[in-house]
Amino acid sequence: MKTPELINFLKEVPVSGREASVLEKVYAFVVRDFRTWWTYKLWVSIDILGTLMFVVSYYFVSKIVTTTSLEAAGYGTDYLTFAVIGVAFQQYVFSSVSTLSESIRGEQWDGTMETILSSKTNFRVFLLGESVFRFIMGSYFLVTALLVGEAIGVKITTNLGSILSAAIMTMLLITSHMIVGILSAALILKVKEGDPIVWSFSWLTQLFSGVLYPLNLLPSQISWIGAIFPLTYSLDGIRRCLTVEATIFSPIVAEDIVKLAIFIVVSLPIALKAFKAAYDSTRSDGSLGQY
Amino acid sequence: MGLSSMNTIEVLSLTKRFERKDDGKKRPFAAVDSIDLAVEEGELFGLLGPNGAGKTTLIKMLCTLILPDEGRALVNGFDIVKEAEKVRASIGWLHGETGGRALYWRLSARDNLRFYASLQNVPPDVAEKRIDALLDFFDMTEEASTLVKDFSTGMKVKTMLARTLLPNPPILMMDEPTVGLDAATAVETRKLLKALSTDLGRTILFTSHNMFEVERLCTRIAIMNSGKIVAIDTPLRLSEISKEIKAVEVRISEIADSKILDLFQGLKGVQKVVKTEIGEDYSLIQVQVEDEQEAIATMPEFLQEKGLNVISIQRALPTLEDVYMKLTRKST
Amino acid sequence: MSVSSILGLFREEAPRLKSTFRQIYAVVWANLMIFFSYKYSVITDLLSMAASIFMYYFMGLQVDPTQLSSRGYGQSYIAFALVGVATSQYLWICLSRLSHVIQHDIRGGTLETVAVTQIKMGVYFIGQTIRGYLISLISLFGTFAVGLFALGVTLQINVYTIATTVTTFLLMIVANQAIGFMTAGIVMVYKRGDPVTFILAGLNEFLSGVLYPLELLQQFPIVYWMARIFPYTYALDAMRKSLIGGATILSPDVYFDLTMLIIFSVVLLPIGLKVLQRGYNVIRKNGTMATY
Repeated sequence: MKTPELINFLKEVPVSGREASVLEKVYAFVVRDFRTWWTYKLWVSIDILGTLMFVVSYYFVSKIVTTTSLEAAGYGTDYLTFAVIGVAFQQYVFSSVSTLSESIRGEQWDGTMETILSSKTNFRVFLLGESVFRFIMGSYFLVTALLVGEAIGVKITTNLGSILSAAIMTMLLITSHMIVGILSAALILKVKEGDPIVWSFSWLTQLFSGVLYPLNLLPSQISWIGAIFPLTYSLDGIRRCLTVEATIFSPIVAEDIVKLAIFIVVSLPIALKAFKAAYDSTRSDGSLGQY
Repeated sequence: MGLSSMNTIEVLSLTKRFERKDDGKKRPFAAVDSIDLAVEEGELFGLLGPNGAGKTTLIKMLCTLILPDEGRALVNGFDIVKEAEKVRASIGWLHGETGGRALYWRLSARDNLRFYASLQNVPPDVAEKRIDALLDFFDMTEEASTLVKDFSTGMKVKTMLARTLLPNPPILMMDEPTVGLDAATAVETRKLLKALSTDLGRTILFTSHNMFEVERLCTRIAIMNSGKIVAIDTPLRLSEISKEIKAVEVRISEIADSKILDLFQGLKGVQKVVKTEIGEDYSLIQVQVEDEQEAIATMPEFLQEKGLNVISIQRALPTLEDVYMKLTRKST
Repeated sequence: MSVSSILGLFREEAPRLKSTFRQIYAVVWANLMIFFSYKYSVITDLLSMAASIFMYYFMGLQVDPTQLSSRGYGQSYIAFALVGVATSQYLWICLSRLSHVIQHDIRGGTLETVAVTQIKMGVYFIGQTIRGYLISLISLFGTFAVGLFALGVTLQINVYTIATTVTTFLLMIVANQAIGFMTAGIVMVYKRGDPVTFILAGLNEFLSGVLYPLELLQQFPIVYWMARIFPYTYALDAMRKSLIGGATILSPDVYFDLTMLIIFSVVLLPIGLKVLQRGYNVIRKNGTMATY
């Protein structure tokens, strides 16, 4: 096409139509991410292998562990189930949140961040779009881990009420950790470095949220730290539902739900404000596309 | 043409093939197709060609980054395959990556240059002197300690240029050396390249899309297309090729759109519209014609009858760009 | 500065000063500078290292001490885990650091820039691996420091056990780095190496008994024998026997482990170097040094 023809083409009034809805835009992100992910087919197999390895390694650890502390904390006598649930859910939220910040880092590195944020897409939609696929994939691996665990001796209840209750707690877990992801995205946008929030979150939760051991093993001077993290309540509630057949109507689980809800209601607006502030700041200092 | 020791760069039947997908099947193609080339010491040699012509592949082979499939080449008398290390000791290469990604963004300009100097075995005291001088030349002394990640594109390009010149090699291979530079720096850089060639006898082989730059700087030019060299000569002699092209330039006060250009196409004796330049209140249209004098005599009246205001019409002066376009068979 | 001044400078002859040591130093120094420019990452790496040791300490409070002592690993789980956790970091460095560097350099365009200089690519790769080792020394010593001083872990520390541990550790690095050279050569050509290095390092860590006694794998003979094909299994066993059990190079307990490590090193190192060299030649032949 020669220049004058292109000019004439561009002069034509664009076909008018409605703007894409939030759902359609998020779907576009998911399709993009799925297609990219699908080109790394080998990675999919390797990820499954990785899941298998960590579950199986705790099988062996469970052979040398006593269960006195577990029983005292009300989680039954099965360390393997305790550990697999802990690590599976902790990895679930950590990988979902860290891949969000990695994908933002990747957008900065590839130069596509500016392209997207200078389009009609609102930054909240951008965040949602970047997150959804990661949580879908995280769910896929979570289920795989639990199924592999079942195959080697993890005992999970078949009580429908308990399973549904665990699902509700998982939704709250996801929502609360998206907030962590948004905060970390805000920091990455501004600081352009690897992710102090996500990495701090990872080791802090492993230490204080009862991932590999019940919290009654921690000295009283530091055991209260776990109360800051939504993962602590989520794991507690999910474990009780899946191992001792508690439901959302059980007092302890209900208490966990209330605490999670308070966390979400209070911190979600703060996280969104922080991201907006970082976004505006990078636009102001011109560093949006830098890495 | 056999290999001779008179030239600093000698290329004999050099070929490089890659594969690309065509209709879903992988087919081989020659990115560099049996090229012969000789560049004398002290020449400022330009390599032109459209994207995909094979210029970068040729330069990368001469820099030992890519192994050829057939043929031979000598750089500074050393075989690019068998004596690659000696070739690398003789050259400086400017990456064609104008985004500056071939720098370490988390190091300062000075640290980038020091690192490179160490890899190039430049003695430390000599390196410091040259780094100071080059940073001063490119007006970057104040930014020497700033991390590259905070540089503009132009500053990154200047850092890369400084890096290329730092080891003071006898041969420079440069991919688009002035792209991304502001006008003043580009002028000074061209002066420097010219002086390095004429005063110090450095051999410089560079690619460019800037016809003006190539025409004025180069002692000789090679034009590449589809992996082959289609012409190689001095700029003046190459321009004479375009004397075969008969063309006139018409300046009208209207803005030339497709309807107006169709009018030109419809004129008797007009072969094709070669290029169009649109100004604020004029259009300059160059057309190839069978007979220039007849065109000059008859065209204005015809165009005026069609309602156009003809400001001027004259014989078009041939340029290197015309040669390039003719030889690479593209038109604007 | 004017053109004529620059010309005056370049008119002076200055012969090149060939120094492999200087080149390695430059690569190590530049990459250390880059590493330390990411201040947050440095701090979080140190903190997460410390936190992981505390985590294993608390996890270890649930472990039945007889499960370890009956297998010759003493009674302390944290001592058992400390040796594994501290040294497994080096496992990952050896197996995957060079692959990551190459991928990063290819994406950034700096691999070509380095390849056109007078540094031999082998020397450049050595410089990059040394940088990885140096950075990981911080985490290695830090892990032991946290264990020994913050958690009161008791290890058998004397000249002989330290000498044994260091010897074992160096052999472990050589053997595993050889595998790392192989994966780097593969990554250079195929541009995707993370799956390969992940399987290797992950399987290695899983099978070598980092968190549990290797003997537990004996109930699955195939898995147990798979563990035996990794050099790290022998290294970890020898280091534990030394630091927990007090064994030295002169003890029969570690003869077998050290012998296996020497065999691995002697066999794998030339292969690894050849694969790396071949990978580099292939990308020059294919013209894919800058593609990813």
